Amino acid sequence: MKHFSLRKLFLGCGALALFILAWKLVTDAKLVSPIFFPGPERTYAALVKGLSGGAMLSQTLETVQRMLLGWLLASFVGVFLGALIGVSRRARAFIAPTLELLRPLPASAMIPIAIAFLGFSDNMVLVVIAFGALWPMLLATIHGFAAMEPRLYEVSAVLGLSRAQVIWKLALPSAMPMILASLRLGLTISLILAVVGEMLASRQGLGQSILAASRSFRSPDQFAGIVILGAIGLVGSRLLSFAERRLLRWQAVSR
Amino acid sequence: MRAAGLLKNGWRAALLPVTLVVLAQVTATVTQLESDTLASPFDIARAFVSVAADGSLLRATLDTLKAAAAGCILGVGAGSLLGIVLGLSRLADDALDLTIELLRPVPVVALIPVVMMLLGFGAEMEIVIIGLGLLWPSVVLARAAVKEVEPRLMEVSSVLQLGFLARLTKIVLPAILPQLFMSLKLAAGYALVVAVTVEITANPVGLGYGIMMAQQALRPAEMFAYLIWIGAIGWLISLLLNSAQRAFFPVFVKGEGR
Amino acid sequence: MVVTQLSTRPRHGEGNSTPTSGEARIRIRDVTLSYGSLQIIGGISLDIAPGETICVIGPSGCGKTTLLRMLAGLARPTSGSVELDGSVLGGPNRSVAIVFQDYGKALLPWRTAAGNVSLALEARGCPGAERPAIIRELLEKIGLGRHADKYPAEMSGGMQQRLQIARCLAQEPKVLLMDEPFGALDAMTRQALQDEVLGLVATTGATMVFVTHDLEEAIYLGDRIICLQPNPGRVGRVVDVRLTRPRDQLLTREDPEFLRLRRELYDLIKDDHQ
Repeated sequence: MKHFSLRKLFLGCGALALFILAWKLVTDAKLVSPIFFPGPERTYAALVKGLSGGAMLSQTLETVQRMLLGWLLASFVGVFLGALIGVSRRARAFIAPTLELLRPLPASAMIPIAIAFLGFSDNMVLVVIAFGALWPMLLATIHGFAAMEPRLYEVSAVLGLSRAQVIWKLALPSAMPMILASLRLGLTISLILAVVGEMLASRQGLGQSILAASRSFRSPDQFAGIVILGAIGLVGSRLLSFAERRLLRWQAVSR
Repeated sequence: MRAAGLLKNGWRAALLPVTLVVLAQVTATVTQLESDTLASPFDIARAFVSVAADGSLLRATLDTLKAAAAGCILGVGAGSLLGIVLGLSRLADDALDLTIELLRPVPVVALIPVVMMLLGFGAEMEIVIIGLGLLWPSVVLARAAVKEVEPRLMEVSSVLQLGFLARLTKIVLPAILPQLFMSLKLAAGYALVVAVTVEITANPVGLGYGIMMAQQALRPAEMFAYLIWIGAIGWLISLLLNSAQRAFFPVFVKGEGR
Repeated sequence: MVVTQLSTRPRHGEGNSTPTSGEARIRIRDVTLSYGSLQIIGGISLDIAPGETICVIGPSGCGKTTLLRMLAGLARPTSGSVELDGSVLGGPNRSVAIVFQDYGKALLPWRTAAGNVSLALEARGCPGAERPAIIRELLEKIGLGRHADKYPAEMSGGMQQRLQIARCLAQEPKVLLMDEPFGALDAMTRQALQDEVLGLVATTGATMVFVTHDLEEAIYLGDRIICLQPNPGRVGRVVDVRLTRPRDQLLTREDPEFLRLRRELYDLIKDDHQ
């Protein structure tokens, strides 16, 4: 369990303040041109302006929406298919090797293929996000189901559990730690691909706005967009970690 | 579950992909496929041979791999160094934790426009992006590896009154070498992914650019050929690193991978 | 070869393989088990009466666990058959419960103690409304009443083993099989659990087959002791235990008959080793 430490809070805030100060000093001294690299005050100003009425708020929502939709789609398909494949040794023997072959394929490499079929559209980005986020979740689910303690299979046989009961009451909870960890990874991938997709296909969202800002040399807006993306990533990751800890309460005990 | 697993499962493993390829070819032949988006397996093979023969595939592969390797060394090197420092120094760890937690979640692709403004197109930009992308995961892994070093060993080093440098080189580094290699293995795969992504979005060289160009030029066979090639490269790198891991760190392999 | 001793206790008939009082609960008919060319079990025949407690002892590798797994339906004999109440056992059966030695792996770590017991009730279709009462009663009986909401990781080894026993009892089994259940526990916990198991078996009337490498435990718990010989596993000796019930950790273990049996079995096992 993480213990809250006052010393850590002070040190952490102190270091962060130093970091921001260094940022300010570098930009004030114009070591890098302000066209490329804004100082913290201008970034903050752009952030506030953009979110409180500027286009940035709606763009943020677009990106978040895209990310979540693709991620949810991938999660459902990944866990469902993963469960089906994972519980059956025969299915694993036939399917898992092909999946392993496909695993090293970068999702971004699928972007041209998706463009070929769907053009530069929102659907294209969605498909790419879902495809990219699918792999870790599918593979983790299969692995989680396959790795169930063999003793529990024997227990389920003696108790006379039906196949559905074994999957729902034993295999799924047993695979849960792996599945939940992969969901977090999937969300990170979803965010990345959402941004890439938006940049490439010029779809509404933070990716496109950052690109536009960079092209018109509006560096504070660009950096504000980067900050927001970082925030989305942080919040999403924290929320899932929290959910993971709640659902896996029984694990914390043994630590 | 790499090459050994594939061979063991033998025919079962091959059945699905072979069936799909055969089906695809049959469908393409029967429907006399002429399309801007689809290609038959034969056409893909022909396209592959053609880009391999004229040297463009090799050039693109080298460009991508060079950038990926350089970015890997940069990112894993810098990240591991920082991670080791954080692992050894409680002060640094407590102080920098907050800042790193805030910097880490930024998707590296968002930084492409920034880096592109500073460095323009080209290999340096790609290497920097790859390095940045690998930085934080390497920090996290190296830090965790240092924290996992058997405390007993640290006590021994105190008793022997080893200086900081001696402790680092004689105890910490050898102890975390397996984990560092693991970190490198993960990084290599990720480096390839980031490289291809950068090439697709921004940098007009390499395999990513190749696949994008093929699509833009409405040459689906070439596009799929590049796609399969990228996957094959990724698989090959992973295979090589796994073999290396088995050769140099045999004990480690038992625990991972089924 | 089955050598038996004549018994003066009428409860389970003569100390031979066929009880005279009614149907045998379990009938092991000339069972063998081989993995390829390796014969693990070579011809075992045994009848076990309802309510009887059989202890199986023998050196490592004599097939004690394999025999138990065959009784549980988890292993199929290569030849011969295992009959439960007259019909051949084709596979695992809810009326035969088995307590494994590695309790950690046999419990669900994500469910509380109550949840683990509940699994057996869910399996046999017990209506949801009835479950809490049954679970509470079972946990009380096994001494885990106050720990119903604890996860297995929060419990000691002895408690986890108790939990496994509680779950097995929730099956309302006719036969309780135990595979060296107390091997990983300390002496005091072991003795406490021995008495608890004896009490449970007495009240439920279940037939018990208990595998152990501990001679004294076998004598303490059993009505009959089956000594297996290795390579391949077969019955060397069947020994009757003529000690009064209920057993007592101090009194029974000082009983001259207990000591005599201990010497006899010790010599037997020593001979088997040579």
